[in-house]
Amino acid sequence: MAKLELSEETKAGMEEVGQADLLIAVVAPVQSDQLRAAATRAVLVPSLSSLRTVVAFPGLNGAEAAALESIEAPTGLRFLPYSLPSADPGRIPWLAGAGIYQGLFAMARELGANACAVIGFDLAALESNSLAQMVAPVLEQRCELAMPLYAMGKFDGLLNSGILAPLTRALYGRRVRYPLAPDFCLAGKTLPDVETAVQRAITQGQPLLWPATEGALRDYKMCQVQVGTRHAPPADGVDLSTILTQTVGSLFLDVASNASTWQRVRGSQAVETLGVAVSPPASAAAVDTTPMLETFQLGYRNLQEVWSLVLPPVTLLELKRLARPNPDRFHMPDELWVRVVYDFALAYRLRTISRAHLLGALAPLYLGWVASYALEVGNAGPAEADQRLEKLARAYEEGKPYLLSRWRWPDRFNP
Amino acid sequence: MWTQVSQSLHESMARVISRIATLLPGILAFILAVLVFAAVAWGLAWLVRAFLNAIRIDERLARGTNAIAEWSPTYTPTTLITRVVFWCIVLMGFLVGLEAFGASSDNALSARLLGYLPNVIGAVVLLLLGNVIARFLSRSVLIGAVNMNLHYARLLSQGIKWLVLVLTAAMVLDHLSIGAAIVDLAFGILFGGIVLALALAVGLGSRDLVSRSLEKEATRSAPESIPEEQFRHF
Repeated sequence: MAKLELSEETKAGMEEVGQADLLIAVVAPVQSDQLRAAATRAVLVPSLSSLRTVVAFPGLNGAEAAALESIEAPTGLRFLPYSLPSADPGRIPWLAGAGIYQGLFAMARELGANACAVIGFDLAALESNSLAQMVAPVLEQRCELAMPLYAMGKFDGLLNSGILAPLTRALYGRRVRYPLAPDFCLAGKTLPDVETAVQRAITQGQPLLWPATEGALRDYKMCQVQVGTRHAPPADGVDLSTILTQTVGSLFLDVASNASTWQRVRGSQAVETLGVAVSPPASAAAVDTTPMLETFQLGYRNLQEVWSLVLPPVTLLELKRLARPNPDRFHMPDELWVRVVYDFALAYRLRTISRAHLLGALAPLYLGWVASYALEVGNAGPAEADQRLEKLARAYEEGKPYLLSRWRWPDRFNP
Repeated sequence: MWTQVSQSLHESMARVISRIATLLPGILAFILAVLVFAAVAWGLAWLVRAFLNAIRIDERLARGTNAIAEWSPTYTPTTLITRVVFWCIVLMGFLVGLEAFGASSDNALSARLLGYLPNVIGAVVLLLLGNVIARFLSRSVLIGAVNMNLHYARLLSQGIKWLVLVLTAAMVLDHLSIGAAIVDLAFGILFGGIVLALALAVGLGSRDLVSRSLEKEATRSAPESIPEEQFRHF
């Protein structure tokens, strides 16, 4: 796995900077002029203007960095370049690896930062001024980990809504809406612990950092900050199977690594939400679910031999009923979807089949769930869509005993 | 005359019994060698398993995507290594037994068997590998094709599977020196036929499609606007 090794140049820059109050760690390659403009604007807000802020950013050589430094910046704002390790082939370019976070947390720790704000994907969090909203509660010691609460449309971030968020909530007992958010802020005192945890995760082959999970495992005081940031990860050349393999696969690996902890967790606790609600963008009312339903039905016709290795007969029977061609009445019950996800998580742990095949075989089922959800909330407003997702999250929690039972006794007869 | 027949029968019986008596030590030596080596193999496999468990090789290799787990997910690396050790030693015992059998019986059969054995082992390995590769590729193609919404996913997957299996069968037969020229010829005709059939199918069946696509490409003046996605998964 690509690990961030700080160059001599970066270390010299850190020595020169000495101490900092806030480290803004940019993990994606960005344009230097855009970064400069966005960072300057972001730190001009009253809550950040008096802080010694360092912006660590990738992708520039020494000369460009010096040019960036030479332009007049607000007092206390410094730019510190670092070299991104060569990306793993096949990895989604906009998903930062855990190795990069480890290097950045070490940098923040050595600078003695009181807070480390991570900016992922792009500069949207800096440009939308949501940085200050996330940093403030951490600096005011109201929480140790601030996660963003994005205002998303009902058909945005569906993988997060259908699997990542509810599964993380059911397992670790914290209701964090975006557990794999690209932007978040950590308190300085948590950095050594998180750094160690990331190191351990890397040695276990974990490719991504799940900040909300780390926060829940270490019982950090977490908060969610309502932000108006809108990320638009480019979809070029990245298909759904790849996204599933790298995000859901990483989550399943995390589930297997932390089994001893999540088996003791019951129910879930709300996480304090700060800030003013931002209205989500309008979503299309009428959506075409036909291609997704076709993929689901095609999957049912062709992938039975794979699904039957993972799913119990009763689930296969329910999927058979669903696969009947009747697009208007298509409805995948939450309980069925939850059991499917739990069974796939177990098969991932047991290596019932190749993990790449397993997650590829999940794609048609996931599209079936998306189609069912889209048909259900097609005419609903954002609040109703949120309620629908809350109902799904509760179904995950109610279905947890099923996962526990299968996890502990995988060979027990399961009709 | 009956005396002569009886004598002849007695002599042949004596020759057979004497032959069996000559072979018996060899057979006993063969069985003993296989049994002793099987016991040694069992003990060594147990030691190897204990050592691998002590160094937690399964956990170490389970980090990330590793080739063994991807190609043969139901077997852990420990199981695979111990089984390889066990069967290698049993095979060695088999060879030692054959050698002992040959030395005691002074028989050309054992020499021929010994000479042919590497071919058999190679063929078995090829057969196993071919099966694993065929199964893996067929499943990969099936899942990939379903996710690409191709309605002929199963056909494609079965085609890949049988192509690999036919190739494996031809290689195995070639390795065993069975039907040498006939197998080569048959395989060449079969493989060439499949490729030709596919080429004809694409060339004739998709002629209109290809020409329409080329026309569209040639007449396109400005890039078409890409419709905004209704769903965002991430």
